[in-house]
Amino acid sequence: MASIARSSLLRQVASARLASQHSVIANAARASAFHTTARRDILPPLPQRVQGTVNDAAPVPPTSPSHGSYHWTFDRLVAGSLIPLTVAPFAAGSLNPTLDALLCATILIHSHTGFQNIIIDYVPAYRTPRARKLFMWGLNAATAVVGLALYEFETTDVGITEAIKRIWTA
Amino acid sequence: MASLRSSASLLLSAASRPALRAAAAAPAAVRGMAQVTDGQQQNMMASNDKAKLKTFQIYRWNPDTPTEKPRMQSYTLDLNRTGPMVLDALIRIKNELDPTLTFRRSCREGICGSCAMNINGTNTLACLCRIPAEDNAEMKIYPLPHTYVVKDLVPDLTQFYKQYKSIKPYLQRETPAPDGKEYRQTKADRKKLDGLYECILCACCSTSCPSYWWNSEEYLGPAILLQSYRWLADSRDEKTAERRDALNNSMSLYRCHTILNCTRTCPKGLNPGLAIAQIKKEMAF
Repeated sequence: MASIARSSLLRQVASARLASQHSVIANAARASAFHTTARRDILPPLPQRVQGTVNDAAPVPPTSPSHGSYHWTFDRLVAGSLIPLTVAPFAAGSLNPTLDALLCATILIHSHTGFQNIIIDYVPAYRTPRARKLFMWGLNAATAVVGLALYEFETTDVGITEAIKRIWTA
Repeated sequence: MASLRSSASLLLSAASRPALRAAAAAPAAVRGMAQVTDGQQQNMMASNDKAKLKTFQIYRWNPDTPTEKPRMQSYTLDLNRTGPMVLDALIRIKNELDPTLTFRRSCREGICGSCAMNINGTNTLACLCRIPAEDNAEMKIYPLPHTYVVKDLVPDLTQFYKQYKSIKPYLQRETPAPDGKEYRQTKADRKKLDGLYECILCACCSTSCPSYWWNSEEYLGPAILLQSYRWLADSRDEKTAERRDALNNSMSLYRCHTILNCTRTCPKGLNPGLAIAQIKKEMAF
Protein backbone atom coordinates (compact mmCIF):
# COMPACT_ATOMS: atom_id res chain seq x y z
CA MET A 1 0.00 0.00 0.00
CA ALA A 2 3.01 2.27 0.31
CA SER A 3 3.17 3.14 -3.36
CA ILE A 4 1.65 6.50 -4.07
CA ALA A 5 2.36 6.12 -7.76
CA ARG A 6 -0.99 4.46 -8.23
CA SER A 7 -3.55 7.00 -9.20
CA SER A 8 -6.70 5.45 -7.83
CA LEU A 9 -6.74 4.22 -4.27
CA LEU A 10 -10.40 3.52 -4.55
CA ARG A 11 -9.90 0.87 -7.21
CA GLN A 12 -7.46 -0.99 -4.96
CA VAL A 13 -9.91 -0.93 -2.13
CA ALA A 14 -12.74 -2.09 -4.33
CA SER A 15 -10.78 -5.09 -5.62
CA ALA A 16 -9.69 -5.94 -2.06
CA ARG A 17 -13.29 -5.90 -0.94
CA LEU A 18 -14.31 -8.23 -3.73
CA ALA A 19 -11.58 -10.68 -2.72
CA SER A 20 -12.60 -10.54 0.95
CA GLN A 21 -16.23 -11.12 0.02
CA HIS A 22 -15.28 -14.32 -1.76
CA SER A 23 -13.36 -15.55 1.27
CA VAL A 24 -16.27 -14.68 3.57
CA ILE A 25 -18.61 -16.80 1.46
CA ALA A 26 -16.12 -19.67 1.51
CA ASN A 27 -15.74 -19.38 5.29
CA ALA A 28 -19.49 -19.32 5.80
CA ALA A 29 -19.86 -22.48 3.73
CA ARG A 30 -17.16 -24.18 5.81
CA ALA A 31 -18.68 -23.06 9.12
CA SER A 32 -22.24 -24.01 8.22
CA ALA A 33 -21.19 -27.64 7.82
CA PHE A 34 -20.78 -27.82 11.62
CA HIS A 35 -24.25 -26.51 12.44
CA THR A 36 -27.40 -28.55 12.13
CA THR A 37 -29.80 -25.73 13.04
CA ALA A 38 -30.12 -22.25 11.62
CA ARG A 39 -29.08 -19.28 13.75
CA ARG A 40 -32.13 -17.58 15.20
CA ASP A 41 -32.41 -14.45 17.30
CA ILE A 42 -34.45 -14.98 20.46
CA LEU A 43 -36.23 -11.62 20.47
CA PRO A 44 -35.30 -9.73 17.29
CA PRO A 45 -36.00 -5.99 17.26
CA LEU A 46 -39.38 -5.04 15.83
CA PRO A 47 -39.80 -2.55 13.02
CA GLN A 48 -39.79 1.00 14.32
CA ARG A 49 -43.14 2.20 15.63
CA VAL A 50 -43.75 5.78 16.72
CA GLN A 51 -46.54 6.27 19.27
CA GLY A 52 -48.60 9.28 18.22
CA THR A 53 -46.80 11.86 16.12
CA VAL A 54 -43.11 12.58 16.33
CA ASN A 55 -43.91 15.81 18.17
CA ASP A 56 -45.85 14.15 20.99
CA ALA A 57 -44.05 13.44 24.25
CA ALA A 58 -43.44 9.81 25.17
CA PRO A 59 -46.20 8.60 27.55
CA VAL A 60 -45.41 8.94 31.27
CA PRO A 61 -46.32 5.77 33.21
CA PRO A 62 -48.58 6.05 36.30
CA THR A 63 -46.87 6.71 39.63
CA SER A 64 -46.35 3.54 41.63
CA PRO A 65 -43.82 3.81 44.48
CA SER A 66 -44.20 0.13 45.40
CA HIS A 67 -42.63 -0.71 42.03
CA GLY A 68 -40.36 2.33 42.10
CA SER A 69 -38.76 4.09 45.04
CA TYR A 70 -40.04 1.82 47.87
CA HIS A 71 -38.98 -1.25 45.91
CA TRP A 72 -35.53 0.18 45.26
CA THR A 73 -35.04 1.27 48.88
CA PHE A 74 -36.15 -2.16 50.14
CA ASP A 75 -33.71 -3.81 47.70
CA ARG A 76 -30.83 -1.71 49.01
CA LEU A 77 -31.70 -2.33 52.65
CA VAL A 78 -31.83 -6.09 52.11
CA ALA A 79 -28.53 -6.03 50.19
CA GLY A 80 -26.94 -3.86 52.89
CA SER A 81 -28.14 -6.02 55.76
CA LEU A 82 -26.62 -9.10 54.12
CA ILE A 83 -23.12 -7.81 54.86
CA PRO A 84 -23.33 -7.84 58.71
CA LEU A 85 -25.42 -11.04 58.61
CA THR A 86 -22.68 -12.80 56.62
CA VAL A 87 -19.88 -11.52 58.85
CA ALA A 88 -21.70 -12.05 62.18
CA PRO A 89 -21.20 -15.85 62.58
CA PHE A 90 -17.46 -15.50 61.96
CA ALA A 91 -17.11 -12.43 64.17
CA ALA A 92 -19.04 -14.01 67.02
CA GLY A 93 -17.37 -17.38 66.53
CA SER A 94 -20.55 -19.20 67.50
CA LEU A 95 -23.67 -20.25 65.69
CA ASN A 96 -27.03 -18.80 66.57
CA PRO A 97 -29.97 -20.58 64.90
CA THR A 98 -32.06 -17.39 64.82
CA LEU A 99 -29.29 -15.47 63.08
CA ASP A 100 -28.83 -18.36 60.66
CA ALA A 101 -32.55 -18.36 59.83
CA LEU A 102 -32.45 -14.59 59.33
CA LEU A 103 -29.51 -14.95 56.92
CA CYS A 104 -31.41 -17.62 54.98
CA ALA A 105 -34.52 -15.48 54.70
CA THR A 106 -32.56 -12.38 53.62
CA ILE A 107 -30.64 -14.29 50.95
CA LEU A 108 -33.94 -15.68 49.66
CA ILE A 109 -35.54 -12.22 49.41
CA HIS A 110 -32.37 -10.76 47.88
CA SER A 111 -32.21 -13.37 45.14
CA HIS A 112 -35.97 -13.11 44.54
CA THR A 113 -35.81 -9.36 43.87
CA GLY A 114 -32.61 -9.85 41.86
CA PHE A 115 -34.29 -12.35 39.55
CA GLN A 116 -37.32 -10.07 39.36
CA ASN A 117 -35.05 -7.33 38.04
CA ILE A 118 -33.63 -9.68 35.41
CA ILE A 119 -37.13 -10.66 34.26
CA ILE A 120 -38.26 -7.02 34.07
CA ASP A 121 -35.15 -6.23 31.99
CA TYR A 122 -35.26 -9.10 29.53
CA VAL A 123 -38.93 -10.13 29.30
CA PRO A 124 -40.60 -6.82 28.43
CA ALA A 125 -44.26 -6.63 29.47
CA TYR A 126 -45.27 -4.46 26.52
CA ARG A 127 -43.94 -6.99 24.05
CA THR A 128 -44.29 -10.43 25.62
CA PRO A 129 -46.99 -10.04 28.30
CA ARG A 130 -47.78 -13.76 28.58
CA ALA A 131 -44.15 -14.81 28.84
CA ARG A 132 -43.68 -12.10 31.47
CA LYS A 133 -46.54 -13.51 33.54
CA LEU A 134 -45.21 -17.05 33.13
CA PHE A 135 -41.70 -16.06 34.23
CA MET A 136 -42.94 -14.05 37.21
CA TRP A 137 -45.13 -16.90 38.49
CA GLY A 138 -42.32 -19.36 37.78
CA LEU A 139 -40.04 -17.23 39.93
CA ASN A 140 -42.63 -17.08 42.72
CA ALA A 141 -42.95 -20.88 42.61
CA ALA A 142 -39.17 -21.33 42.66
CA THR A 143 -38.82 -18.95 45.61
CA ALA A 144 -41.54 -20.81 47.52
CA VAL A 145 -39.86 -24.18 46.88
CA VAL A 146 -36.43 -22.86 47.88
CA GLY A 147 -37.96 -21.24 50.97
CA LEU A 148 -39.54 -24.53 51.99
CA ALA A 149 -36.28 -26.39 51.37
CA LEU A 150 -34.30 -23.86 53.43
CA TYR A 151 -36.87 -24.13 56.23
CA GLU A 152 -36.47 -27.92 56.23
CA PHE A 153 -32.68 -27.58 56.14
CA GLU A 154 -32.68 -25.13 59.04
CA THR A 155 -35.08 -27.08 61.25
CA THR A 156 -34.07 -30.68 60.63
CA ASP A 157 -30.42 -30.37 59.52
CA VAL A 158 -27.32 -28.37 60.52
CA GLY A 159 -28.22 -25.00 58.96
CA ILE A 160 -26.59 -23.03 56.19
CA THR A 161 -23.57 -21.53 57.98
CA GLU A 162 -22.53 -24.88 59.41
CA ALA A 163 -23.05 -26.55 56.02
CA ILE A 164 -20.78 -24.03 54.27
CA LYS A 165 -18.23 -24.43 57.05
CA ARG A 166 -18.16 -28.19 56.57
CA ILE A 167 -17.85 -27.95 52.80
CA TRP A 168 -15.09 -25.36 53.22
CA THR A 169 -13.02 -27.58 55.52
CA ALA A 170 -13.86 -30.85 53.78
CA MET B 1 -5.25 24.21 9.34
CA ALA B 2 -4.92 26.84 6.66
CA SER B 3 -2.71 24.57 4.57
CA LEU B 4 -5.16 21.72 4.91
CA ARG B 5 -8.07 23.85 3.83
CA SER B 6 -6.21 25.12 0.81
CA SER B 7 -5.26 21.68 -0.45
CA ALA B 8 -8.81 20.48 0.02
CA SER B 9 -10.25 23.40 -1.91
CA LEU B 10 -7.76 22.78 -4.69
CA LEU B 11 -8.91 19.21 -5.04
CA LEU B 12 -12.48 20.40 -4.93
CA SER B 13 -11.93 22.80 -7.75
CA ALA B 14 -10.32 20.03 -9.77
CA ALA B 15 -13.42 17.91 -9.45
CA SER B 16 -15.50 17.57 -12.55
CA ARG B 17 -18.78 18.76 -11.06
CA PRO B 18 -19.84 21.83 -13.00
CA ALA B 19 -21.17 23.74 -10.00
CA LEU B 20 -17.85 23.47 -8.26
CA ARG B 21 -15.94 24.38 -11.40
CA ALA B 22 -18.00 27.53 -11.70
CA ALA B 23 -17.22 28.38 -8.12
CA ALA B 24 -13.50 27.89 -8.71
CA ALA B 25 -13.59 30.10 -11.78
CA ALA B 26 -14.73 33.00 -9.63
CA PRO B 27 -12.46 32.79 -6.57
CA ALA B 28 -14.36 35.54 -4.79
CA ALA B 29 -17.39 33.25 -4.56
CA VAL B 30 -15.45 30.44 -2.87
CA ARG B 31 -16.03 30.39 0.85
CA GLY B 32 -12.89 30.14 2.93
CA MET B 33 -9.50 31.75 2.76
CA ALA B 34 -7.72 29.36 0.42
CA GLN B 35 -5.39 30.74 -2.22
CA VAL B 36 -5.19 28.54 -5.29
CA THR B 37 -1.46 29.08 -5.91
CA ASP B 38 -0.71 28.55 -2.25
CA GLY B 39 -2.66 25.30 -2.37
CA GLN B 40 -0.75 24.11 -5.42
CA GLN B 41 2.57 24.52 -3.65
CA GLN B 42 1.23 22.82 -0.59
CA ASN B 43 -0.05 19.93 -2.67
CA MET B 44 3.33 19.41 -4.33
CA MET B 45 5.07 19.49 -0.96
CA ALA B 46 2.63 16.98 0.43
CA SER B 47 3.13 14.57 -2.45
CA ASN B 48 6.89 14.76 -1.98
CA ASP B 49 6.50 13.59 1.60
CA LYS B 50 5.81 9.95 2.28
CA ALA B 51 2.06 9.40 2.19
CA LYS B 52 0.54 8.34 5.52
CA LEU B 53 -2.32 6.16 4.42
CA LYS B 54 -5.16 5.29 6.75
CA THR B 55 -8.14 3.12 5.93
CA PHE B 56 -11.59 3.92 7.28
CA GLN B 57 -14.22 1.20 7.29
CA ILE B 58 -17.61 2.84 7.30
CA TYR B 59 -21.06 1.32 7.77
CA ARG B 60 -23.21 1.81 4.68
CA TRP B 61 -26.92 1.21 4.28
CA ASN B 62 -29.16 2.84 1.76
CA PRO B 63 -32.93 3.14 2.40
CA ASP B 64 -33.51 3.27 -1.38
CA THR B 65 -32.48 -0.40 -1.58
CA PRO B 66 -33.93 -1.72 1.69
CA THR B 67 -33.49 -5.38 0.84
CA GLU B 68 -29.73 -4.98 0.52
CA LYS B 69 -27.85 -5.87 3.68
CA PRO B 70 -25.80 -3.18 5.43
CA ARG B 71 -22.13 -3.43 4.50
CA MET B 72 -18.78 -1.97 5.47
CA GLN B 73 -17.07 0.14 2.85
CA SER B 74 -13.37 0.98 2.99
CA TYR B 75 -11.90 4.35 2.10
CA THR B 76 -8.20 5.12 2.19
CA LEU B 77 -6.96 8.63 2.84
CA ASP B 78 -3.54 10.26 3.07
CA LEU B 79 -3.37 11.67 6.60
CA ASN B 80 -0.84 14.31 5.52
CA ARG B 81 -3.60 15.99 3.60
CA THR B 82 -6.43 15.38 6.08
CA GLY B 83 -7.39 17.28 9.22
CA PRO B 84 -6.65 15.73 12.61
CA MET B 85 -10.20 14.69 13.56
CA VAL B 86 -12.40 11.86 12.30
CA LEU B 87 -14.97 14.40 11.11
CA ASP B 88 -12.31 15.98 8.87
CA ALA B 89 -11.69 12.58 7.33
CA LEU B 90 -15.42 11.95 6.84
CA ILE B 91 -15.91 15.31 5.17
CA ARG B 92 -12.92 14.66 2.93
CA ILE B 93 -14.28 11.24 1.96
CA LYS B 94 -17.64 12.81 1.12
CA ASN B 95 -16.04 15.63 -0.86
CA GLU B 96 -13.46 13.68 -2.78
CA LEU B 97 -14.15 9.95 -2.78
CA ASP B 98 -17.83 9.22 -2.36
CA PRO B 99 -20.51 11.93 -2.30
CA THR B 100 -23.17 9.35 -1.37
CA LEU B 101 -21.73 8.88 2.16
CA THR B 102 -24.27 10.31 4.59
CA PHE B 103 -23.68 11.64 8.11
CA ARG B 104 -24.86 14.49 10.33
CA ARG B 105 -22.49 17.28 11.21
CA SER B 106 -22.80 20.92 12.02
CA CYS B 107 -20.51 22.84 14.34
CA ARG B 108 -17.30 20.74 14.06
CA GLU B 109 -16.31 21.78 17.62
CA GLY B 110 -18.31 19.53 19.94
CA ILE B 111 -21.15 21.89 20.85
CA CYS B 112 -24.02 20.73 18.60
CA GLY B 113 -23.91 16.96 19.12
CA SER B 114 -24.83 16.15 15.53
CA CYS B 115 -21.86 13.97 14.61
CA ALA B 116 -22.31 11.39 17.39
CA MET B 117 -21.29 7.97 16.06
CA ASN B 118 -19.56 4.79 17.11
CA ILE B 119 -15.87 5.10 16.28
CA ASN B 120 -13.61 2.11 16.96
CA GLY B 121 -16.20 0.70 19.34
CA THR B 122 -16.76 3.85 21.39
CA ASN B 123 -19.65 6.27 21.07
CA THR B 124 -18.21 9.71 20.61
CA LEU B 125 -18.44 12.89 18.58
CA ALA B 126 -16.51 12.56 15.32
CA CYS B 127 -15.39 16.19 15.63
CA LEU B 128 -13.77 15.59 19.04
CA CYS B 129 -12.19 12.23 18.15
CA ARG B 130 -8.62 12.37 16.92
CA ILE B 131 -7.45 10.01 14.16
CA PRO B 132 -4.74 7.96 15.87
CA ALA B 133 -1.67 8.76 13.77
CA GLU B 134 0.83 6.48 15.49
CA ASP B 135 -0.55 3.20 14.10
CA ASN B 136 -2.00 2.42 10.69
CA ALA B 137 -4.77 0.13 11.90
CA GLU B 138 -8.11 0.51 10.16
CA MET B 139 -10.72 2.70 11.84
CA LYS B 140 -14.23 1.32 12.04
CA ILE B 141 -17.10 3.78 12.04
CA TYR B 142 -20.68 2.72 12.75
CA PRO B 143 -23.86 4.65 13.55
CA LEU B 144 -24.86 4.85 17.23
CA PRO B 145 -25.51 1.27 18.41
CA HIS B 146 -29.01 -0.15 18.74
CA THR B 147 -30.71 2.71 16.92
CA TYR B 148 -32.91 2.57 13.86
CA VAL B 149 -30.72 3.75 10.99
CA VAL B 150 -32.06 6.35 8.57
CA LYS B 151 -29.10 6.08 6.22
CA ASP B 152 -25.39 5.21 6.60
CA LEU B 153 -24.27 6.97 9.80
CA VAL B 154 -27.55 8.77 10.50
CA PRO B 155 -29.56 7.26 13.39
CA ASP B 156 -33.23 7.92 14.05
CA LEU B 157 -33.51 9.79 17.38
CA THR B 158 -37.30 10.23 17.37
CA GLN B 159 -37.85 8.20 20.54
CA PHE B 160 -34.96 9.99 22.26
CA TYR B 161 -36.49 13.40 21.59
CA LYS B 162 -39.99 12.22 22.52
CA GLN B 163 -38.62 11.04 25.84
CA TYR B 164 -36.84 14.36 26.32
CA LYS B 165 -40.14 16.13 25.77
CA SER B 166 -41.86 13.86 28.32
CA ILE B 167 -39.70 15.14 31.22
CA LYS B 168 -40.86 18.74 30.56
CA PRO B 169 -37.42 20.27 30.13
CA TYR B 170 -38.38 23.82 31.07
CA LEU B 171 -38.84 25.90 34.21
CA GLN B 172 -42.23 25.23 35.83
CA ARG B 173 -43.27 27.94 38.27
CA GLU B 174 -46.52 29.34 39.59
CA THR B 175 -45.43 32.16 41.92
CA PRO B 176 -43.95 35.29 40.39
CA ALA B 177 -40.59 36.59 41.55
CA PRO B 178 -40.99 38.70 44.75
CA ASP B 179 -39.49 41.85 43.22
CA GLY B 180 -41.04 41.35 39.81
CA LYS B 181 -37.65 40.85 38.19
CA GLU B 182 -36.05 37.63 37.01
CA TYR B 183 -36.03 34.49 39.19
CA ARG B 184 -32.87 34.73 41.26
CA GLN B 185 -30.70 31.97 42.62
CA THR B 186 -27.88 31.90 45.17
CA LYS B 187 -24.41 31.08 43.92
CA ALA B 188 -24.55 27.77 45.78
CA ASP B 189 -27.83 26.85 44.06
CA ARG B 190 -26.41 27.80 40.68
CA LYS B 191 -23.36 25.62 41.35
CA LYS B 192 -25.66 22.57 41.62
CA LEU B 193 -26.40 22.88 37.90
CA ASP B 194 -22.75 22.70 36.85
CA GLY B 195 -22.04 19.38 35.17
CA LEU B 196 -25.72 19.12 34.19
CA TYR B 197 -26.50 22.07 31.94
CA GLU B 198 -23.53 21.35 29.64
CA CYS B 199 -25.22 18.26 28.15
CA ILE B 200 -25.73 18.68 24.40
CA LEU B 201 -28.06 15.67 23.99
CA CYS B 202 -25.84 13.89 21.47
CA ALA B 203 -27.26 10.51 22.66
CA CYS B 204 -23.79 8.95 23.00
CA CYS B 205 -24.50 7.88 26.60
CA SER B 206 -28.04 6.61 26.08
CA THR B 207 -27.04 4.46 23.10
CA SER B 208 -24.09 3.00 25.04
CA CYS B 209 -26.36 1.83 27.88
CA PRO B 210 -27.36 -1.88 27.68
CA SER B 211 -30.49 -1.16 29.72
CA TYR B 212 -31.47 1.45 27.15
CA TRP B 213 -30.72 -1.00 24.33
CA TRP B 214 -33.21 -3.51 25.71
CA ASN B 215 -35.87 -1.15 27.06
CA SER B 216 -35.68 2.11 25.14
CA GLU B 217 -39.49 2.15 24.80
CA GLU B 218 -39.94 2.64 28.56
CA TYR B 219 -36.59 3.37 30.21
CA LEU B 220 -35.58 7.02 29.78
CA GLY B 221 -31.83 6.43 29.48
CA PRO B 222 -28.90 8.36 30.96
CA ALA B 223 -29.08 11.52 28.84
CA ILE B 224 -32.74 12.17 29.61
CA LEU B 225 -32.31 11.31 33.29
CA LEU B 226 -29.36 13.72 33.51
CA GLN B 227 -31.64 16.42 32.12
CA SER B 228 -34.38 15.31 34.48
CA TYR B 229 -31.99 15.82 37.40
CA ARG B 230 -31.00 19.20 35.99
CA TRP B 231 -34.61 20.34 36.54
CA LEU B 232 -34.99 18.51 39.85
CA ALA B 233 -31.87 20.24 41.17
CA ASP B 234 -32.94 23.69 39.97
CA SER B 235 -33.89 25.83 42.99
CA ARG B 236 -36.23 27.98 40.87
CA ASP B 237 -38.41 25.07 39.74
CA GLU B 238 -41.59 24.49 41.79
CA LYS B 239 -42.81 21.19 40.33
CA THR B 240 -40.10 19.01 41.90
CA ALA B 241 -42.64 16.64 43.49
CA GLU B 242 -44.49 16.14 40.18
CA ARG B 243 -41.20 15.53 38.40
CA ARG B 244 -40.29 12.87 40.96
CA ASP B 245 -43.70 11.22 40.68
CA ALA B 246 -43.27 10.94 36.91
CA LEU B 247 -40.08 8.91 37.48
CA ASN B 248 -41.50 6.82 40.32
CA ASN B 249 -42.32 3.55 38.52
CA SER B 250 -40.42 0.42 37.70
CA MET B 251 -39.31 1.42 34.18
CA SER B 252 -38.54 5.14 33.76
CA LEU B 253 -35.68 5.44 36.24
CA TYR B 254 -35.05 2.14 37.98
CA ARG B 255 -33.87 0.21 34.91
CA CYS B 256 -30.52 1.90 35.56
CA HIS B 257 -28.23 -0.75 37.04
CA THR B 258 -25.19 1.52 37.48
CA ILE B 259 -23.34 0.02 34.51
CA LEU B 260 -21.65 3.43 34.02
CA ASN B 261 -21.06 3.06 30.27
CA CYS B 262 -22.69 6.50 30.09
CA THR B 263 -20.02 8.17 32.20
CA ARG B 264 -17.23 6.40 30.37
CA THR B 265 -18.41 7.38 26.92
CA CYS B 266 -19.61 11.00 27.46
CA PRO B 267 -17.65 13.13 24.97
CA LYS B 268 -18.28 16.22 27.13
CA GLY B 269 -16.87 14.58 30.27
CA LEU B 270 -20.15 14.71 32.21
CA ASN B 271 -21.34 12.11 34.69
CA PRO B 272 -24.89 10.89 33.97
CA GLY B 273 -24.34 7.91 36.30
CA LEU B 274 -23.83 10.25 39.26
CA ALA B 275 -26.92 12.29 38.35
CA ILE B 276 -29.07 9.13 38.24
CA ALA B 277 -27.64 8.00 41.59
CA GLN B 278 -28.59 11.43 43.04
CA ILE B 279 -32.17 11.06 41.79
CA LYS B 280 -32.41 7.57 43.32
CA LYS B 281 -30.96 8.85 46.59
CA GLU B 282 -33.36 11.79 46.78
CA MET B 283 -36.32 9.52 46.07
CA ALA B 284 -35.25 6.77 48.46
CA PHE B 285 -37.11 7.86 51.61
